[in-house]
Amino acid sequence: MQAQSGSLLPPASALNLGGPRAVRGALALAAAVAVYYFAAGNEVRMGTFWVLGLAFGFALQRSRFCFASAFRDIFLLRHGRTLKGVLVGLAVAAVGFSTLMARQVPNTALGVLPPDANVLPMGLHTIVGGVLFGFGMVIAGGCVSGSIYRMGEGYVASWVSFFGIILGVLGAAYTWNWWWEFQIEDGLRLWLPNLLGHGGALALTLAALAGLFVLTLWWESRAGVVVPDAPFQAEEEANFAARLRNLFKRIFVHGWTPLLGGAVLGGLNVVSFITERPWGFTGELSRWSIGISNSLGFGPGILKGVDALPGCTLELGDNGVLHFMLFLVLGMIYGSFLAAYFSGEFKIRIPKQRIRFVQAGGGGLIMGYGAGIAMGCTIGAFFSAIASLAVNGWVFAIFLAIGAWLGTQAIQRIP
Amino acid sequence: MMSKRIDLRGEICPYPMMKTVQALKKLGKEERELVVVIDHAPALETIPTQAERLGFSVEIKETGSPEWQITLTRK
Repeated sequence: MQAQSGSLLPPASALNLGGPRAVRGALALAAAVAVYYFAAGNEVRMGTFWVLGLAFGFALQRSRFCFASAFRDIFLLRHGRTLKGVLVGLAVAAVGFSTLMARQVPNTALGVLPPDANVLPMGLHTIVGGVLFGFGMVIAGGCVSGSIYRMGEGYVASWVSFFGIILGVLGAAYTWNWWWEFQIEDGLRLWLPNLLGHGGALALTLAALAGLFVLTLWWESRAGVVVPDAPFQAEEEANFAARLRNLFKRIFVHGWTPLLGGAVLGGLNVVSFITERPWGFTGELSRWSIGISNSLGFGPGILKGVDALPGCTLELGDNGVLHFMLFLVLGMIYGSFLAAYFSGEFKIRIPKQRIRFVQAGGGGLIMGYGAGIAMGCTIGAFFSAIASLAVNGWVFAIFLAIGAWLGTQAIQRIP
Repeated sequence: MMSKRIDLRGEICPYPMMKTVQALKKLGKEERELVVVIDHAPALETIPTQAERLGFSVEIKETGSPEWQITLTRK
């Protein structure tokens, strides 16, 4: 099925690191190391989160792990290739999170919540936020993490989405106090271990993920769609050098399967939680736009209750420019850039139709608002929340899927 | 043999796949072939799947880094 022309650039060309390409590659790596020393010199955590960000960005790009497509393609293409990867990632993260949370809260009967896990108050804001986020990510062609790794790959539209998201979370901040009094303040925070104990909560979560995996297989077989993994063109493993080259190609050139990508991202999420807190970054994005608008005098002012809430809850941005989460976000963009550069997938891509910029920016705004009131995106309010064994993650996921379905209807009407 | 060519470079997800499917459906009876030019790697998985469904065979040629030319021929 896949024919390669010898005279044109074969995929292995990306590994022929000769000439200016090698120099540029070495400079790009040296820059990553330099930023590490700058960050770690400020605060150890900043350096750690720069490295974590690089790893997240690298894994996202290598597996082209797009949460928007996970939810969208179930409806648009009737296959769950990426969704199955998400489910595997959730299972890996849930096992790691559960072990960690069991140490933080040994006695679940007391009704105490683990302080850093993404157990969030539920209410109408979860529902509205989920639908808006799901709709916005499909219109924009990527969720927050998807936009971040595509920024690194050179998609100009994703930079526009990112800007839209930052403005969207600021919009959410202006309405935060209203949502707080209306729903969030009295919203129920349901943590499964409080109801079922640590073992029961993990068992139920894993069973639900396995059930969804089987359901996805059934849905795919009903539609009769097969999406094969791209074939890996290995060279004959005649000697050690050839084996080594094949291994390098598998990691740095050939795309990872979504299942591998999901498992790696789930594992990195556990590392993130062990280091500080679960993976998530919309809180950090809100810190930028709320911080800037506050310092210019048109900010949303005091946001009620945000200090006491975990995860990606809005942040006031009154704590200076440098923050370890800033290095996580920048690291993700740069990690994806490095991955794309070394696999030969980096390219500045500019959409020809003006409507795409409107979609990217508008979808970003809608997503940003949704993430602001739901206290997280597909990562903070979903990927890290279900892994925190929190019921809010599942509720958000249902409405995310509904929003994605609405978005799928909409994009089919945009030329 | 008549053949049509569409250039979908720069398009965002999932339009490379959607526009290819639209073009395949619009292809006249006497047209045997559609050539699609893309630079969006995820479409290398979605376009072949959808084209096979519509009865087209698929040939992918890497024409740049990263650019591909996909030739879809009516079976």
